[in-house]
Amino acid sequence: MTMHAQIQPAPQFGETPFTRKKRRNEKIAQGIFAVMVACIVIPLFLIVGYLIKEGVSLISWEFLTTNPTGGMRKGGIWSALLGTFWLVGTSLCISAPIGVLAAVYLNEYAKDNWFNRVVNLAVVNLAGVPSIVHALFGLGAFVLFAGMGRSIIAASLTLAIMTMPVIIASTKEALAAVPRQFREACWNVGATKWQTIWRIVLPNSISGILTGVILQVSRTAGETAPIMFTGAVFYRKIEEGNLFAYGLGDQCMALSMHLFTVTTQVTNAPHALPFAIATVLLAFVLLVNLTAILFRSWLRSRKKW
Amino acid sequence: MKHILTTALLAASLVLSGCGKKNADGSSKKEDTIALQNIGSDTMVNLAQAWAEAYHNVEPKVSVEVSGGGSGIGVAALINGTCDIANSSRKLEKEEEEKATAKYGGKHPVEHHIGYDALAIYVHPSNPITEISIEQLAEIYKEGGKFNKWSDLGITMPSGQDEIVRASRQNNSGTYHYFREAVVGKKNDFKQGSRDMNGSKEVVDLVATTPSAIGFSGIGYRTDKVKVIKVAKKTGEPGIEPSIKTTLDKTYPIARPMFMYVPPTAKPEAEKYIAWIVSEPGQKIVIKEGYVPLDAFAPKDAK
Repeated sequence: MTMHAQIQPAPQFGETPFTRKKRRNEKIAQGIFAVMVACIVIPLFLIVGYLIKEGVSLISWEFLTTNPTGGMRKGGIWSALLGTFWLVGTSLCISAPIGVLAAVYLNEYAKDNWFNRVVNLAVVNLAGVPSIVHALFGLGAFVLFAGMGRSIIAASLTLAIMTMPVIIASTKEALAAVPRQFREACWNVGATKWQTIWRIVLPNSISGILTGVILQVSRTAGETAPIMFTGAVFYRKIEEGNLFAYGLGDQCMALSMHLFTVTTQVTNAPHALPFAIATVLLAFVLLVNLTAILFRSWLRSRKKW
Repeated sequence: MKHILTTALLAASLVLSGCGKKNADGSSKKEDTIALQNIGSDTMVNLAQAWAEAYHNVEPKVSVEVSGGGSGIGVAALINGTCDIANSSRKLEKEEEEKATAKYGGKHPVEHHIGYDALAIYVHPSNPITEISIEQLAEIYKEGGKFNKWSDLGITMPSGQDEIVRASRQNNSGTYHYFREAVVGKKNDFKQGSRDMNGSKEVVDLVATTPSAIGFSGIGYRTDKVKVIKVAKKTGEPGIEPSIKTTLDKTYPIARPMFMYVPPTAKPEAEKYIAWIVSEPGQKIVIKEGYVPLDAFAPKDAK
């Protein structure tokens, strides 16, 4: 308090109604914003706390690494957990390279003409398509037309199509954040467009690009609708402890789907089971997000501007 | 220079992390494992899951992949040729049989009768009703039926909520089809305003939490949070409790056979799997899961 008083210059003028009003408004604004933050943060903690409280009794290493047994009432969630890993990994492998490269083209090479404006508009709109619509497209295009059948690859492609527009949008954002002067300086010393992109634009935007890509993991892991139609099953037993127990042509279980079936289909399932599954799913997503944040701050610390 | 390295490394790790999987899978994939796609009836899905789980110990090389969705989904998969075994809690309709036969070049899909399901009528435990007749059920469920309140049936609800909340099923469900045929009448429609749930368990869950509700689902979905009431063929006749015995001797009026359909082109393992299902160990699981086995496997002391 004393520090505060020292820094503040002595009031030159007495307090007027105008300054009092200013101060009051400032307080009101601050209060409103604080309440808004509380509105976001408190439910988040309540949700996470509730899930963990209800589900933690079941979670153990064994729970993560054994198949469901006893009519899915006992045992663990291994086949679902591994299924989610595979779906997320494969779909990211497809959507990340295509999405990032497409964004580089759209941001760096594409001229501002009507065609590219239409493409940009399509990307933005595609990002807003509900996942169940993607699911139907995946069923028609990959499962039936392309003859992949209900499989991990069909489900991953569906998920990839779903996440790609968002990756494109976030990558474009990251690329656009690199100041134009950087590129101009590079061109002025005779570099080609590709050299500029490779040596200046990408290194300076990689943290933003990666954040966009990694954040899509959480979306992919949580989706149920697209995989329900294209490759996720109610039950399937796989070899325990083998990370390659699934093949791309196999159907798989997935955490989100497992949560759905355990709550809507399995009678007399232990009360804690759905909560435990939800906690694992949440932990998976939070872990990925945490990695993204750490990665980003590390990359940002190396930025030279 | 450092930037390039970082970029390259990141890109590589990003791409390789997943692609490595693909390569490893292509070569070392367990070639000897045979997957059977088993899809269909929601009534049977828990049973199908229990079989799949147990069969893994009998024949570790066969991996049965179970999906639910409803008998309609199973039949559609049979017609589209996207399954090895279709589960259905109703017989194939003539039109469906023709479509499937056309799909397989004139060969018929093979029908296997694998057990029965007694359709139980569920109410809330606080509901004093103990039995109901098929006619009364029809009046509750069909379009234009005259029973809308529990007091119409002479029941006084302790909770005071007199309006009957009707739980039903979505229209591609085999349970829905059977109930319509056996209770509502094929020519009649369901009354508007019933809650059409997407799964058997959802019906039971709704009834468990709604004092004035009534619902129908397979007896396998019974829990201790709901009451199963006796069903009489006609008003005035004694109500019959659903059980293995009353289902098999046909005294319980709303029980139905469950089927598995195998396309003629299916892998031989599918037939072997079903042969195991209709044998002693498979049928024991039927009883354990709360369904009704084939006559030959009914326990002698069954009530």
